[in-house]
Amino acid sequence: MIFGYLDAGSGSLLLQALIGGLAGIGVAYKAMRMKYGRRGRVEPDAVEGEVDTAEDTALSTES
Amino acid sequence: MPSRAKWTQQRTQPCPPNPDRDVISPDPGSFRDPASRVVIDGERIVRLLDERGLEGWRALAGTDFFESAVSEGRLIAAEEIDPPPGSAGALEHPRLPLISYPYEWTYSMLKDAALLQLDLLEGALNAGLTIKDSTPYNIQFVEGRPVFIDIGSFEAYRQGEPWIGYRQFTRQFLFPLMMRAWVGVPFQPWLRGDLEGLTPAQMARILGGKKRFNSGALLHVRLQARMEARMSGRAVREDLRTAGFTPELILANVRKLRALVTSLDWEHGKDGWSDYGSCDHVSRDRDAKSEFLRSAIGRVGPDRVLDLGANDGHFSTIAAEAGAQAIALDSDEAVLDDLYQRSAGLSLSVVLTDLGNPSPAQGWAGMERSGIIERAWPDLVIAYGLIHHLIYAASIPPREVLRWLRGFGTPVVVEFVSPADEMVAKLVGNKLPHELHGGREEGEFRALLGDFFEIRSERKLQSDTRVLFDLDPR
Repeated sequence: MIFGYLDAGSGSLLLQALIGGLAGIGVAYKAMRMKYGRRGRVEPDAVEGEVDTAEDTALSTES
Repeated sequence: MPSRAKWTQQRTQPCPPNPDRDVISPDPGSFRDPASRVVIDGERIVRLLDERGLEGWRALAGTDFFESAVSEGRLIAAEEIDPPPGSAGALEHPRLPLISYPYEWTYSMLKDAALLQLDLLEGALNAGLTIKDSTPYNIQFVEGRPVFIDIGSFEAYRQGEPWIGYRQFTRQFLFPLMMRAWVGVPFQPWLRGDLEGLTPAQMARILGGKKRFNSGALLHVRLQARMEARMSGRAVREDLRTAGFTPELILANVRKLRALVTSLDWEHGKDGWSDYGSCDHVSRDRDAKSEFLRSAIGRVGPDRVLDLGANDGHFSTIAAEAGAQAIALDSDEAVLDDLYQRSAGLSLSVVLTDLGNPSPAQGWAGMERSGIIERAWPDLVIAYGLIHHLIYAASIPPREVLRWLRGFGTPVVVEFVSPADEMVAKLVGNKLPHELHGGREEGEFRALLGDFFEIRSERKLQSDTRVLFDLDPR
């Protein structure tokens, strides 16, 4: 069972794996595939347009 | 063992130690983690643990990491005591000289606290533990060094768990430091206004220029902002565990964050009141003021001395060296930052706040974080080189300044500065005489003093425009 009183933020949790280097990118890729299926791309419904850079690429885990 | 009735859940304001208090009160700032809550039992500080909290404590207490962190002064000491009814475990901690909040810290204090948080997380992970949150409110300063006080934050590391406190670390440590070091904007007003700190999206908007493209900014600010927006409401914790997340990934992040935090630097130069010590009247009167203060300290014998408008901390240091716990309070971050860096080993606490608008009680129910004046509870107040700033710059009537000083209920050492003083001329600026409050002349001021205090002793300084008073409250 997982406990936690603090909201860690899903994006922030996933980012930790990406920061961890090559092994972490693999973990993030696997986690995203488990969450969203083979294509692994997050649906854009939650995008609020907060930051307007090309960082989408870091979220794209297509193989 | 105390009775159940004594362990009331009624929340009260923080208060000075009082062995006669009959009620044990939960600390109003300790309620978010159900596994661990701090209560105040007269002079004792006690942490109550539920089953999970007790499990975390036992995991921590059995490690060399805990022993060395406590002996090095990086982690607060804790002793297991008999728990009261309703708790699985209880710990007793030493009482701290002063609780201060991140919005009352200088840049170097927040930076040192950030590095301590990262060092302890690394040590904990290497010992098979983790720290479940990352808030600077878990860190306090004792004799000029940061000390982690929330023993309840430690728990056994569960395989596959990411660092739950990463986002909080960036919001409450990293982004405020970036804001000061890279943008030149003080973080304290923001942290005082929003106790949760800056969001990644806010920080992304604040960062401009070349710093936007710093690798730390791209990762921790812009990419985090982007991913927060994209992943909102989509739980990934279990997915990461199943995908093979390891503590080595957290350690890699911690190492990168440590390098980033270490690289952040605030060059404050000679801003504000940094050069105050070189003013003619300061160097001329310093010895006489020091001697007068020592005399007052000898008369009162204070345990705690509050130095209002402490500047470089010269008089706070005298109080600390006389055996008191000194609280050096000022609104100038540059001078206090220098003082903090010189305060290692001294019983001296540095507090950054503007006396025209001191830190208020705020947070949940308006009680989670108490006002600085409530936390100070001094036995002696120093108001050297202060009240003319309140009267002339902040336009506080002299009577109200004295009423406020009387409110501490303690002896006060005050420096009166007459309108003829060179510094007053600078503070008055373009204000016309009729735009200033009455009570500024020495005769008028003495009459006002009599309404609130009894004069124990006084001394005219060499300039003839300044008088020191050692006062007892009426």
